[in-house]
Amino acid sequence: MGGGLVNSIFMSALTAGLIALSHGPVLAKSGDAEKGEGIYQKRCLQCHGEEGDGLGPAAERLNPPPRDFTLGLYKIQSSAFDADLPNDEDLFRMISDGMPGTAMPGWSDLLSEQDIWDVIATVKAFAELEGEPERQVDYGTQVKSSPESIAAGKKLFLADDQCSECHGVEGKGDAIKKLKNDNGERTWPRNLTKPWTFRASNDPKDIFTRITVGIPTTQMPSFADPKSKKKLSIEERWHVANYVASLAKTEKTVRSDNTVIQAARIEGELPASPDDPVWDSAPPSTFFMVPQIVGKERFFKAANDTISVRSLYTDKMIALHLEWDDRTKSIPGDDKARTIADEELTEDAIAVQFPMKISAGMEKPYFLMGDAAKPVNLWRWSSGTTQMPESVSILDAMGINDQQARDGDGGLSAKGAYKDGTWRVVLTRSRKTETTDKDLQFEEGRFIPIAFFAWDGSNSEAGSRHAMSTWYWLLLKPSTGAKPMIVAIVVALLIGGILVWWGRSATARREGMTP
Amino acid sequence: MKIPRLLQAVLILAGVYFGFIVVFDVLLDAVIPSSLLAMYMFFVTAGVFMVFTYDEDQTRELVAPIKAMVEDPSKRVWRNTVFVIVPLVVGVGTYQQMQPSFQAPVELRTIHPAPPTTAMIYGKRVKLLELENPFRKLEKEDPEQFGELVNEGAVVYIENCQFCHGDKLDGKGPYAAGLNPTPLNFQDVGTIAQLQESYLFWRISTGGPGLPKEAAPWISSMPVWQDFLEEDEIWKVILFLYDYTGHRPRSWEHE
Repeated sequence: MGGGLVNSIFMSALTAGLIALSHGPVLAKSGDAEKGEGIYQKRCLQCHGEEGDGLGPAAERLNPPPRDFTLGLYKIQSSAFDADLPNDEDLFRMISDGMPGTAMPGWSDLLSEQDIWDVIATVKAFAELEGEPERQVDYGTQVKSSPESIAAGKKLFLADDQCSECHGVEGKGDAIKKLKNDNGERTWPRNLTKPWTFRASNDPKDIFTRITVGIPTTQMPSFADPKSKKKLSIEERWHVANYVASLAKTEKTVRSDNTVIQAARIEGELPASPDDPVWDSAPPSTFFMVPQIVGKERFFKAANDTISVRSLYTDKMIALHLEWDDRTKSIPGDDKARTIADEELTEDAIAVQFPMKISAGMEKPYFLMGDAAKPVNLWRWSSGTTQMPESVSILDAMGINDQQARDGDGGLSAKGAYKDGTWRVVLTRSRKTETTDKDLQFEEGRFIPIAFFAWDGSNSEAGSRHAMSTWYWLLLKPSTGAKPMIVAIVVALLIGGILVWWGRSATARREGMTP
Repeated sequence: MKIPRLLQAVLILAGVYFGFIVVFDVLLDAVIPSSLLAMYMFFVTAGVFMVFTYDEDQTRELVAPIKAMVEDPSKRVWRNTVFVIVPLVVGVGTYQQMQPSFQAPVELRTIHPAPPTTAMIYGKRVKLLELENPFRKLEKEDPEQFGELVNEGAVVYIENCQFCHGDKLDGKGPYAAGLNPTPLNFQDVGTIAQLQESYLFWRISTGGPGLPKEAAPWISSMPVWQDFLEEDEIWKVILFLYDYTGHRPRSWEHE
């Protein structure tokens, strides 16, 4: 609709304006630590703790954990890597805009600017930070992003494994070693293809700052430190920043208006391999997954946060192509996999949930594994161990406490492949089965509820400890045939004919009047 | 310069059309459904047509440009162009209309369904009409103890609720984007400020599965909190919700 376009242009102009405002230079003002104390008590203490040590009551369930202010170190720092403290503007930004991908919200709508300066005074007092940092980040002359700069950045990213050592060859943070922060807590290298999880932003300037300063309290080092083996020049850092910014996988960004996986009909065989190029022809729909905190043993720290889904079908079969980033390939029994895993190593697994039957109305089974009145099917794939190959099974569930695994594969086949921090799995089944009372039958043109579950084995996810999505839709797009085209041509000819007749008869009438 | 009446009519219609879009889609941020917009525009078009064809002279003036285009020999190029473009546009429009829509079905859902008269909570049959927050009276009687209870409620909230409803109680917690329906925004004046504490107690303790059918219990991500929290903890977290947002619960006394 035209309105949508007008609206989106207006909104993006507005957003651009707001971003310009909020990221423009915020001039540091002195805050009143005593006033800030009151705000801290009401708004901050539950996570960051009474003593500012990050040990508030919520700490245990938060991933990442709340900041320990007594260290005086912050992830977003724009003063030089060897400065003693961050700029006040850095603190202002973190409080005002929040930290994406964490539980820290932006406070600018509840707190006034002066409130924030007051809180900053309080927060700095926990580490007895005083004064201003002596040195700032030297930005030199910004190298604008270009194909050449991105190529140069990619070379530097991979050279001597400088960045890829932790961030992986494709930047997905597929770890090869266990990282910890200064407090001994487990940390994971950023998946650079998911810019919405960046604590600051994926603007090249922000990325340049992180590369230059490093990320204090984590193992992300400064690449400006002359003593480091990993030193890069200012220009080189701009190239890397431009490359990192270019890694954003825009086609796999969650779009909240996209709730339907549209399966296209193809002739011949469905591609069984997840790497088959035929899959590139199917547009992916990407959905958020959240930790399972609703039933049984609740789990707050699931590793998987999105899943991209494609689907194709033929007259007989249907196939789903599932793709999700996972920093670790978890194979129980494998020594390397065990060294990266937290606690207990289990298999990576994924499950797709369908209702056993689609209700006539809007009613669906309970989104978490169905209920007694409306059972669900779970198509579950597991990555296998060193002793056992990958496997697939069908679970019939009537709630999280009532799951029954069927014998055999239930007519389901699967093939998984792991590469550079991404799992790709294809699940295939015939559209119709004989057990119509227990299996969903896939009809063309029908909106089919679908939901997803994921277990990351290196994160000790098993049983009710997993990530999950809410219900979305799968649609087997019916082929429309030639009907719309034929009707359109007929209508156009008809209208054209009427117009010509009108013109002719008007001319004839005029000629009749003026002999 | 006088604007031709046909152009006037077209300008008015275009103005009204974009007016609707600016007011609803942009200013109110409530995108107007295309079927509704089509209905509005039908009435507006009918109205404009009636005004512009009030008497015969006006009617003649209105259709004069069209008549001229069809009949005037000097406008031949103009006429042929229109005779080609109009059927094409109608044809393409028909084709697009006939393509099936792959929009997800709309799911209607009552956000605050009427509560039942009684509910099974913590193994007891509770009459919701008679249910009161046992701690509410302390607000006047013992403000200090009341403040402590609010703080205890804050701890319950931050350990259990903020993941979805957010640190700021605005329904924008870290998991919110992955949920549909999205978590309730308690800061909004249309939520807890309109409800009684007993209603909140019912909603929290029985969670999504405790909703009646019109509220689509199968998609609500609200856990059944009586499985995880003590009764007192729920009453305390309710105190916290009102205290933090500055809203007042509704009660029979005020009405």
